[in-house]
Amino acid sequence: MNRPITRRKFLATSGAFGVTLGSGLMTKAFAANDPLKVGVVYVSPISEIGWTKQHSLGIDAIKSDLGDKVSITAVENTFLPQDAERIFSEMASSGHQLIFGTSFSHGTPMQKVAPRFPGNAFEHCSGIVHFDNLGTFEAKYYEGTYVAGVAAAHMSKSAKIGFIGGFPIPDIVGPANALLLGAQSVNPDTTCNVIFLNSWFDPGKEKEATNTLVSQGCDVICSMTDTATGVQVAGEKGAWSIGYASDMSQFAPETHLTAFTLDWSSIYVQAARDVAAGTWKSDVRWQGLAEGVVKMSPYNEAIPTDVQASLQELQASISSGGIHPYAGEIQDQDGNVRVAADSVMPDPEIRGFNWFVKGIIGNMG
Amino acid sequence: MRPLIERRTTPSIAITVAAPAAATVLTVVFSFLFFDALGHNPVSTLHAFFVMPLSSLNGISEWLLKASPLILIALGLAIGFRANIWNIGAEGQLILGAVAATSIGLFYPDKESVFLLPLMILAGMLGGMAWAAIPAFLKHKCNTNEILVTLMLTYVATLLLSYLVHGPWRDPFGFNYPQTALLPPAAMFDPLSGPYRVNNSVYITIFAVGVTWFFTKYSFLSYRISVGGAAPTAARYAGYRESTSIWLGLMAGGAMAGIAGMAEVAGPLGQLSPHISPGYGFTAIIVAFIGRLHAVGILLGGLFISLLYIGGDAVQISLGMSSSVTRIFQGALLFFLLAADFLIFYRIRFVKG
Repeated sequence: MNRPITRRKFLATSGAFGVTLGSGLMTKAFAANDPLKVGVVYVSPISEIGWTKQHSLGIDAIKSDLGDKVSITAVENTFLPQDAERIFSEMASSGHQLIFGTSFSHGTPMQKVAPRFPGNAFEHCSGIVHFDNLGTFEAKYYEGTYVAGVAAAHMSKSAKIGFIGGFPIPDIVGPANALLLGAQSVNPDTTCNVIFLNSWFDPGKEKEATNTLVSQGCDVICSMTDTATGVQVAGEKGAWSIGYASDMSQFAPETHLTAFTLDWSSIYVQAARDVAAGTWKSDVRWQGLAEGVVKMSPYNEAIPTDVQASLQELQASISSGGIHPYAGEIQDQDGNVRVAADSVMPDPEIRGFNWFVKGIIGNMG
Repeated sequence: MRPLIERRTTPSIAITVAAPAAATVLTVVFSFLFFDALGHNPVSTLHAFFVMPLSSLNGISEWLLKASPLILIALGLAIGFRANIWNIGAEGQLILGAVAATSIGLFYPDKESVFLLPLMILAGMLGGMAWAAIPAFLKHKCNTNEILVTLMLTYVATLLLSYLVHGPWRDPFGFNYPQTALLPPAAMFDPLSGPYRVNNSVYITIFAVGVTWFFTKYSFLSYRISVGGAAPTAARYAGYRESTSIWLGLMAGGAMAGIAGMAEVAGPLGQLSPHISPGYGFTAIIVAFIGRLHAVGILLGGLFISLLYIGGDAVQISLGMSSSVTRIFQGALLFFLLAADFLIFYRIRFVKG
C-alpha cells in the first residue's frame, strides 16, 4: 500500500467538481399556472410485481384521471428515515402540493417535515400518526388472508399452512393470524408454521424459508414479502401458494391458489382530486374488501367450483360486515381466551396485533 | 502477446497528474453518451447531479449531514487498513455504538442532564470498540481472519438491534411497531443553525480529521503499525509487536464507527428502528480508499461520495430519472476514479507467450 498522495486526491475531486461547475447553468423556473405537482417516495425500485408496483399503479391512476393537470415526481428505493426526510422536505419546498409516503418507515420523517409545510398535503400509507396536513391510509390485509385461508384449508391435505413474513409487525402478524383463522373455520385442526425473514426483499432467505416450510409438511405457502419467491419455490415443490400485493399466478400458474392484491388507486385519485379542488382534508382510511382496496385475484381452476362460489359469498359477507375475521372466540398460542365468544376484536387491538392465535407454530423473533 | 499487470517501483508522476484528469474526461464522455442515449440533456443532468444540490443552504446542510458519518468512519478504518487490518464490519460497530448511546439516552434517570450527550458519545465509542474488540481478541489469540469475523458480526449486530426494537426497547406507545421512543431533547445534538438538519456532531468529525492527520503524520506508533502493514517480517525484526497493530487498527475503526452511529441516533434519527444506517459502514470503505487512507483525502472523498448520493436523489426529483439510472452513473464514476488510481501504482505490460 502506498498512500502519501494528497495532492493527487485534491486534483481528482477538484477536477470532478470543475467539470460539473463548468457544465452550464440550468435553472428550473416554476411558472404560476403549473399543473398540480404530486410527489411520491417508494421504498424499493418499481418492479413487475409487489408492494411498490401496486403504489405506482395508484400514481398511474392519478395520471390517467387528471392527465395534463398533474405532474408526478417519483423517488424510488428510499427506505431509511435519514434519506426520506431529506427527500420529503425537498419535494415540499419545490412546490409539490401533494406528497405520498408509501412505507411505515416514512412515518417519522413525514411527521417531522409536515409541520414545516402546513400548506402541503401529505398522505402516508401504513401510518399511525396524523396531523391537519398528514393523512394516513392502510389496507385491511387480514380480510384477504382470511378468505385465502379458507381456500387453503379446502385444498390442503396435511392441514398445515406455511406463512412467511417480512417483519413481525402488526400489519403482518394480524394477517398471519387471520389466514389460520380462515383455515380453521373449515378445518379446526389446521396449524400454521410461521417464519420471519427480517427483510422485505431477500429472495435467497425466502427460498430457504419456503423449502423449510414444505419439508415441515406445509402444503400451502403464503408469503407476505416484496417478492414472488415464495410462490415460485412452492410451485417447484408442488405446494399450493397464496400471492400478496399483486396477482402472482404468472410465477406458478398451476399452484397459485389466489392472491390478496392491493389496489390503492381510489385513495390516490381521491387525494389528488381533492388537493386540485382545494378541498383536501387529512383523513384516516382503513379499507378492505368492501372498498376494493383489497381484492382477491382470480381463483385457481383447481379449486372446486362450489368452493369458489362459497369463497365469493364469503367475500361478500366480509364486505357487508356479516362476517368478521376476528370474531370470537379466539385463543392465543397458550390457550388463553383473548377475544370472547360473541364479540369482535376492537380496531385499535387489530392495528396493534402482537400475539399469535392458537395453532400458529413459531414466534415473533 | 498477453497482458501482464506489474507494480511500478515508484509511482508514476505523469499518471499521478493525468489520472484524475483521465477519470474526469472518461466520466464526462460516459455521461454524455449515457444520458443522451436515455434522452436526457447531459449538461443539465450533470448540473442537477453536482451543482443544484449545493445551491441552497439546506442542500449544503444535507450534504454535510451525510458526509460527516462517512468521513468519521473512514478515518477509523484507514488506521486499520494502513496496518493491513481489514475491518469491514464498521456497519456492525456503528449499530452497536447507536445501541449503546440509545441505552443512555433512553434510560439515564435525569432526562435533562447536561451530561447526557457527552455520556452518549462515550457510550457510543465504547459500544463500537467493544464490538471491534471481539475480532481483535480472536485475531490476537487464535489468529482468526478479521475480514470474516468483522463482517459476520455485522449480521449479529443487525439481529441484536432487531431484537431490542421488537422486544424490550419497543416504544410502549408505538402501536407495537418496531421502534424505540424518541430520545429526549437533551440527548439530541443541536442543529448548527435554525431549520437545517446538520448538527453539532460535525465538530466531532472535524476534530477527528485533525487528530488522525496528526497521528498518522507525526506519531511513532502510527509509523510502527504502518511498517507492520507494509512489511510484517521487517516489523517483527525491528521488534514491533503485531498485537499493537491488531488492537489499534480495530479499536480505531470501532470507536469512530460507534461515534458515527451515536451521531445518527442523536441527530437525524432521534430513535432506533430495525434499520438505522444506509450502509455507511460499507460506503466508508470506498471513502477510505478514494481518500488514499489519508485524513485530508478522506475528508474530500467523504464530501464527494455524499454529493454523489445526494445528487442521485436530486436528479430523481428534478429530472424524473429512475434510481437504477442514477446508480449506474454513480457506479461508473467510482469505477473510473479507482481504475485511474490503479494505474499510478501498477502498469500493464504486454509480454510474449
